[in-house]
Amino acid sequence: MHGEYKMPGGKLVVIDLELHNGRLADVQLSGDFFLEPDSALDAINRALEGQPEHADEAALAASVRHALAADVMMYGLSPEAIAVAVRRALHQEPSA
Amino acid sequence: MMRTDWRDHDWQLIHTAPQSPTLHMALDDVLTHEVGAGRRAPTLRIWEWASPAVVIGRFQSLRNEVDGEAARRHGIEVVRRVSGGGAMFIEPGNTITYSIYAPQTLVKGLSFQEAYAFLDEWVLEALAELGIKAWYQPLNDITSEGGKIAGAAQVHRGGAVLHHVTMAYDIDAAKMLEVLRIGREKLSDKGTQSAAKRVDPLRSQTGLPREAVIGRMVATFRRLHGLSDDRLRAGELAQAEALAQSKFGSHEWTTDVA
Repeated sequence: MHGEYKMPGGKLVVIDLELHNGRLADVQLSGDFFLEPDSALDAINRALEGQPEHADEAALAASVRHALAADVMMYGLSPEAIAVAVRRALHQEPSA
Repeated sequence: MMRTDWRDHDWQLIHTAPQSPTLHMALDDVLTHEVGAGRRAPTLRIWEWASPAVVIGRFQSLRNEVDGEAARRHGIEVVRRVSGGGAMFIEPGNTITYSIYAPQTLVKGLSFQEAYAFLDEWVLEALAELGIKAWYQPLNDITSEGGKIAGAAQVHRGGAVLHHVTMAYDIDAAKMLEVLRIGREKLSDKGTQSAAKRVDPLRSQTGLPREAVIGRMVATFRRLHGLSDDRLRAGELAQAEALAQSKFGSHEWTTDVA
């Protein structure tokens, strides 16, 4: 499943994932955003792995935020934008 | 740690013979490290490409961004760089690419948005001298009345900032669209009109050969910030060649975000 979200004032945020028994699996974040250090990408993917299929945007954003070390820098990307891309991947249609 | 100004540094220029895409990726890694460690003075490097390439951003999905079959058909190598941002379509002579390797003190206290614009102020001035009215378009683009000119990307590590930029000189848009999977939404951003065959904001707006545009850019940097002609040290080149082979030419790195 695939979801994309162009963050307003930011960059393209893309999520590819699978669903296993109602939970997110094989989550991959990608896009043309800026993220440092680059190891934060894996931390974000791991934070989303296993989240329930029906988790709302606030819960998904909180799980991403919680996984980020204090020194992580995002430019053109945010936990909220990642959450929107995840919801879009799950719905496979623009969110209302 | 105080913020420094351009003139507090002894800027060096590296502009060598054409090099391979993987060596360019590795040189950015090595020279950022050398400046951060204080072994090399802050440096401007102008790239020359020995062969065509698609350079994808650190976090871009290889399969989402590149049509691998089209790339193979056109003999285009696909490499992943150390910085975020979007994909670049390179054929020798179709773009102007440069890197700035600076101590982090040069951008200390600036927001990301300010740091991108600050490190390219000299380019906007060079473009103005060439008769192009250009401006910074956040987050990381240089644009003009004739469309988008360039995209920038930064990486901060080990006390240094790497700021590198690719400017469109004269790009074969049809070939680019065969190889890059660019959504329709993204096309306007690339300066591509629906029927355009070339993306050539620098060539069409200056009427000058690529080398003359580079010459003007170097002269403007030299006048504003000071610039001495330098070359790669043997040790820097050896490190970069090793890294080009072990990391940047590896399947593992290129497919790191599959």
